[in-house]
Amino acid sequence: MRRIGILFLVLVLGIPVAHAAPAGPVLGVISSFTGRFAEFGEQHRAGLAVALEEINARGGVRGQRLVLLVEDDTSSVTAALAAAERLINQNVPLVLCCYSSSITGPVAQYFTRQRRPFLVFTSSDDAITRPGSEWVFRINQPSSTYAEVLFDVFDALNQASGGRRPIQTVALIHGNGAFETAVATAAEGLAKGRGYTLVDKQSYDQGLTDFRPILNRFKARSPDALFMVSYAEDSVALMRQVKEVGLNAKIYAGGAAGFALPGFLTGARDAAEYVVTATAWTKDVKYPGAQSLYERLKRALGGKEPSYHAAQAYAGLLTAADALRRASLTDPESLRRALRETNLMTAYGPIRFADFRGYRNQNPLKMIAEQVQRGQFVTVYPQEAAVGRILFPAPPWDRR
Amino acid sequence: MEALVAFAQNLAGGLLIGGVYALIGVGLSLVFGVMRVINFAHGEFVAVGMYLTLLLYGYWGLDPYLCLLVAAPFGYGLGLLLERLVLSRLIDAPPDSTLLATLGIALVVSNTLHLLFGGEPRSLYVGYATATVRLGPVTLSVPLLIAGAGTLALIGALVLFLSRSEAGRAIRATAQNRVGAELVGIDTLAHHRLTFGLGTALSVVVGVVLIPLLFVTPAVGGTYTLKAFVVTVLGGLGNLAGAVAGGMLLGVVEVLGASYLAAGYRDAYGLVAFLAVLLFRPQGLFGRAVRRV
Amino acid sequence: MRPAEVIPQPAAFAVDRVLGWAAGCGVLVGIALLPQLLPGYLNLGIALLVLVGWATAWDVLGGWTGQVSLGHAAFVGLGAYTLGLGANTYRMPPWVSAPVAVLLAVGLAWAWGRVTFRLRGPYFTLSTIAVAEILRLGAINERWLTGGGEGIFVRELARPLGLDLFDRHVQYYWALLYAACAVALVAYLAPRRFGYQMRAVREDEEAAQAAGVDPVAVKLRAFMLSAGLVAFGGVLYGAYLSALVPHALFDLRLSVQIALTAIIGGRGTVWGPAVGAVLIVLAAELFRNLFASANLLIYGLLIVLVVLFAPRGIVGQWERWRVRRRYARSVAGR
Repeated sequence: MRRIGILFLVLVLGIPVAHAAPAGPVLGVISSFTGRFAEFGEQHRAGLAVALEEINARGGVRGQRLVLLVEDDTSSVTAALAAAERLINQNVPLVLCCYSSSITGPVAQYFTRQRRPFLVFTSSDDAITRPGSEWVFRINQPSSTYAEVLFDVFDALNQASGGRRPIQTVALIHGNGAFETAVATAAEGLAKGRGYTLVDKQSYDQGLTDFRPILNRFKARSPDALFMVSYAEDSVALMRQVKEVGLNAKIYAGGAAGFALPGFLTGARDAAEYVVTATAWTKDVKYPGAQSLYERLKRALGGKEPSYHAAQAYAGLLTAADALRRASLTDPESLRRALRETNLMTAYGPIRFADFRGYRNQNPLKMIAEQVQRGQFVTVYPQEAAVGRILFPAPPWDRR
Repeated sequence: MEALVAFAQNLAGGLLIGGVYALIGVGLSLVFGVMRVINFAHGEFVAVGMYLTLLLYGYWGLDPYLCLLVAAPFGYGLGLLLERLVLSRLIDAPPDSTLLATLGIALVVSNTLHLLFGGEPRSLYVGYATATVRLGPVTLSVPLLIAGAGTLALIGALVLFLSRSEAGRAIRATAQNRVGAELVGIDTLAHHRLTFGLGTALSVVVGVVLIPLLFVTPAVGGTYTLKAFVVTVLGGLGNLAGAVAGGMLLGVVEVLGASYLAAGYRDAYGLVAFLAVLLFRPQGLFGRAVRRV
Repeated sequence: MRPAEVIPQPAAFAVDRVLGWAAGCGVLVGIALLPQLLPGYLNLGIALLVLVGWATAWDVLGGWTGQVSLGHAAFVGLGAYTLGLGANTYRMPPWVSAPVAVLLAVGLAWAWGRVTFRLRGPYFTLSTIAVAEILRLGAINERWLTGGGEGIFVRELARPLGLDLFDRHVQYYWALLYAACAVALVAYLAPRRFGYQMRAVREDEEAAQAAGVDPVAVKLRAFMLSAGLVAFGGVLYGAYLSALVPHALFDLRLSVQIALTAIIGGRGTVWGPAVGAVLIVLAAELFRNLFASANLLIYGLLIVLVVLFAPRGIVGQWERWRVRRRYARSVAGR
């Protein structure tokens, strides 16, 4: 019994193991490398590795090697908060975070109260930067822009057809997770605001999913556009069932998450053809170095297909290092101002922070739309970034 | 007319998925009926079956339905092992303990799967995954059809086993009256092991049959466990025919609820039915109020 | 259950007692002064103390009364959302939303319990899962009530006595008070009539009834107490996170974690759940960077091991060991 007591004490006292903050420029990163979100943490790790190599190859930060302190939040918000506290204690001047909005939200609030700068590079919940705070900066696009870009595509297609409006009715199906709901809500608002008719709308709970009842109902309403917002697993099942049920729409719009991942192509195969997806980044987008970044990320992932999350981590680290170069490492306020003045071009896109439409310190980077053509993703919108033309309308299933 | 076709479509889909639910429920019901164990890990073995099929298909190109020949014995063996290691020690412990023990097993299984296969959702892409067949005005998915029909056939085989074979009769005797079974010379402990193995094997089979239709992640087991509970309670714990009916009912209720009422609450319909039966007809919709010894 | 103290304590073991007391006091002082001693561990400390409170509250129903609930996360969500929605939509100050949350939780527990307490043992547990799941779906789908799946941010909270409720120091002492009250409450109830009634219902409902104890009334009271306490912790947790998402709060995983914490620590003991919480939170933090991937697996293995070899939980086994040692010594004439 005594032995157990001693063991217990050791366990308790083992926690505050002294961490000497490393000398020189340091950045902290929190992400989910284990647990439910581990697959995205893996993508982040690759992006960070590629960026770190690039930064240090070009002389680091003011001639010194940049060091990264990486913390695993194990997909748990309490662990993320503990990790955040640890990083602040070690006087890490800037921390980058995380994957899930359910984790990023509380951590962002924490950094705001601690008055320390905080950089978000993947989490897309609008509320993080709307209204956000002066300490929270985000380089990636917020959830509502995922819906926006797709409606921009609808508008563009309508305009290109002269007088008629081939896309008038929209049916909306979405998961009930935080991200999906945000995109769906934005989509609803846009439909109303831009004169589209929302003929049906349905949300579903995560888990075992059989969409056939919902899709059958949609089929009866013959929508011009089918707007879907789902995570990876659901997106494959959804498209397969759309094909099975014979729901013919002129355009299938995927509000990112699942539809932009490489797994969607391998999973849905021929059912994925013609689907237009909103995404944050593609390898053939016309920003300098995009293709090279794609190849480096793929190598860092051991041959696995990189998703846009990896590119986001890459851009996040580049942005952070850039701000460090222009600021004092020990003064949070100077770092905050340096971030604010960021004006950087990366392979992910241009990075700067602005206040607009209620957002604060948000990068006004545009979302991209890509379409599955002959089994590959092709960037089709906006014009500046597009590589191919959008194929519209999608042919009915029995004529493919 | 459109509405009628849609209804028929939904009904058919509900019945087929119901067949699959029935198989999950039958395994759980069997285990409970014989061992009085509420197996929280039941759904995890469905995930095990799914991953096993992915492995076999990935390495040897084995068609999922052929994987059954490997998966079923594997599931059986796994069940025997777990029973021997964990459950047999808890024979006379209060029911809480077995519940918690199986909860622990569920955690171990799902996390092991996570460690082995990672968190990405995976599915199986066979040529006929999106194939459909038309029965009159109704279009049915081929994998779903195979899943539904196949599981019903399997349940039929199970019923035959239980009623005609010696081991099957011994199992039923153990379920009805453990002490009495011992008295007539049945080794109830060995039959407990057999039953648990059988229950696990059935779960694994469900996994094999579902993977062409759906996807798997390590966390998926919990959802299937919950479905199994709902089915078993609807049919009456320990009542196999009831579990079949319960499964079909759940499938239909879910599908119809999702189409005609709010789909966001799809899972809730089953849960409400589950609660209602638990409270007002605890012997299940099809059970008889029998006092067990 | 400890036998009465009829075995005299030989003087030789007084040293043991003094050491024990000194260690206990040292720990208490350390806990009270943590924000000064280890200022970098406040987040961890708050999360730990909140879990202590939750596990102890759960144990009132799960350990003392023997009704295992796997749906307690519903009360966490209720507490957190009452704070958040109260502040955002109704400008309710936290000293109003906290009692409101507790009352709502007590009311929910009463309704829930009235309906499900005729179920025994594992059936009751299954029903708690079902009810919690239905509540989760409600929280996600009913946007007008909870802001829907997207969740809400709690940005402003009124200040009681000028205290900033988002300040980690304030939250730490709030959490400490919460955990201490939960444990003190259980310690208070244990030797009193209600404590015995709970145990009676746990051990044998029919015998309890024969002795004049109304099992359903006792279970209801225990459930209401348990729920109210958990909801209060939920209010604190809401302020701690300040960004609430229904999936994370009404999650079955959280319910299971709370239950397992109390079980591993020792059901039906005063300090069991607290010990369980310390063990689990500290181990998770320690292993987070050491064993990364395996940390969740260890959790599952732990519960199986506890159920098989230490069914009373850590503190439960320890108490039993103490009793047996004392008996062995008395028999050996020492």
